[in-house]
Amino acid sequence: MSESNSYRSVMRCPVCFSRDTDVLMIHTGTDFHYCTKCSFQGLESEIRGMYRDIQKKFHNMGKRITLEEQRAL
Amino acid sequence: MMLFNIFHRPGPGAHYDIYRQQQELAHQLGLKTTIFLYYSDLFDPRAIADAIHDRDTHGDEISLALHNLTGPEITEISNGQIALWLLDRERKEQILARMIGKFAEVFGANPTSIGSYHLDSSCLEVLRRLAPEARTVIGGCFEEGVRVFHGCNHSWYLFNEGMPWNPWYPSKTHGLRPARDEDDAAGVVAVPHLVRDMSLAFEGRNDFWASHPPNVIRGMGNDASFCPYDLNLIDQYRMQAEWNGGYSYYNTFVSPSWLDWNHNSEYPPEVAWELYRKFLTYMASLKKDGQLEDLTLSAYGERHRQIRPVGHDEVYLAKELLYGSGKHYFWFVDPAYRVTIDATQGGSIGDLRPYAGQAPVATGPDTPHRDIGSYPYLIQSQHRSGNAHHCYDGARTTLLLKHAGQTLDLCNYRTKVASVTRADDRVKATLTPVSFTFADGLAGELTTTYEFGNGVITISRQVSGLSAQADLELIEYFKGAPGRTEYPEDLHGIILEANGSSPVQREFDYSGQWIDAPGATEVAAVIPHVRTRLSLTSNSAASGRVHAGHLFSPYFTLQLAHRLTGNGTTRTCLNLTPIAA
Ligand SMILES: [Zn+2]
Repeated sequence: MSESNSYRSVMRCPVCFSRDTDVLMIHTGTDFHYCTKCSFQGLESEIRGMYRDIQKKFHNMGKRITLEEQRAL
Repeated sequence: MMLFNIFHRPGPGAHYDIYRQQQELAHQLGLKTTIFLYYSDLFDPRAIADAIHDRDTHGDEISLALHNLTGPEITEISNGQIALWLLDRERKEQILARMIGKFAEVFGANPTSIGSYHLDSSCLEVLRRLAPEARTVIGGCFEEGVRVFHGCNHSWYLFNEGMPWNPWYPSKTHGLRPARDEDDAAGVVAVPHLVRDMSLAFEGRNDFWASHPPNVIRGMGNDASFCPYDLNLIDQYRMQAEWNGGYSYYNTFVSPSWLDWNHNSEYPPEVAWELYRKFLTYMASLKKDGQLEDLTLSAYGERHRQIRPVGHDEVYLAKELLYGSGKHYFWFVDPAYRVTIDATQGGSIGDLRPYAGQAPVATGPDTPHRDIGSYPYLIQSQHRSGNAHHCYDGARTTLLLKHAGQTLDLCNYRTKVASVTRADDRVKATLTPVSFTFADGLAGELTTTYEFGNGVITISRQVSGLSAQADLELIEYFKGAPGRTEYPEDLHGIILEANGSSPVQREFDYSGQWIDAPGATEVAAVIPHVRTRLSLTSNSAASGRVHAGHLFSPYFTLQLAHRLTGNGTTRTCLNLTPIAA
């Protein structure tokens, strides 16, 4: 787990990700990350909030469904 | 009983230590692994010594990974190409000969197994000749293709759709098609690279929803180090043993880069590690309970030969987990076809691969297929529209239920898979009944039952509980086209046929014309693209129709109509038969 790994501060564009495409944003050293594929740019805190919104569709994200429960699904 | 493979591979630099930690974790839990060494690792004394130590101490297998074609006397042949199956045949052979030769020089014997993301028919042929000892392979990534290509920003050239989801015997002419018999078989057992979520792998990117905890992080299916989905997916595969001779199969292949900071995750590496640890710990607990057996890849291959004869079928009942949609999909595969039933669309066929025609494919710049290694479809309703919701409908099947001038489309009704049974070499899946009501008040229920096997899909429609003795027309509907990606292909050469009082035989011409076939008991399309004749047949049918779609809806359509007065059942066979090449 190298501390100097260049991916430490890299984030995927939440707009492109919501279209199921992984696009890495560029972090210029200012607070903003910007996308090279679409026009989105944002702060890390805003981006993480958008990730949370993307996850809202997974209603069972926190639910353990055992083998016996799956048989009954 | 679940049979389980763990695959690990070394990484460069700091990733080598991560690989060693992965090995240590598996061994602490009492689990065996298969170590995949790249060609370049065969020049690294430390990688060789550690692998030999783990083999001799823990019973791991040392195997050869084909992906990443770098190293002495190979880099200059591959010229930056990382995918062996996308080279021409001559280069495939040159590289394989060097890799296998070096492996034998280091370990004193050829590898007994080989790993790749895809093995096309020419790679398999060369491999069998150069290393007949390699009897088991990782041979494909289930359904990776169009969606993964999009997902990786159109940069991941792995077109691998239309294959079995569980281990199979690759055929000689297509590495992803299960062999009909020993003569047709390429001589190896193949396992998939990871196992996939059989609901979400059909609906979207299947590089997210797989037996690989950091892939699920990539898909954002975790809440930091809390991710019950990883274990839910394992249990869904365990459930499949019920319909598959008491066995299920699972594997995992997490390379070290996924357990470090990486471009597919916004979490620190500790999260991926914690989820990987939980995943393997669950597997170890299943082993303790006598419900799981861990094997090396080769040992699995030999076990497969004992428990699954060449030509076997396989069933998967998928119940969607992550969204909580309640959706069911039903999958069946054997050497004649692979089919997906979309229960939420009334039991429509969502995907159909006509293996019966044995369409040959090899990849590489010296073949007409180039990069598209997929087995072609006749229906892929996700790539090709399916049920109509924008303009025309696309590739799908349905039942049209007609009464008093009104038509109901079964695709608009949700069902689930009520039961799966096996009898007389066939698999039967019965769906939950659909309640329907026409505008004039006529109401009733319709139950669909499918039977799979022997190159035929038998579709039964039972109408019951009709509120009045009335006339109904039941039209079996098949709309499809041969294809490999989301874009249409040239349909010239297809012949549409029907029997009856004025038999039809018409070349597909993009005319958009329907042709009626009164009295028909068979409607068919001869599709040279997949060397297959597809027909709908029923002795009790009243009429048929065939259609050559225009360029805004480039599909052929077959219809076969039954008439019922009151309750009753219709049976239609969907037949896939090979035609001469
Ligand atoms: Zn973007």
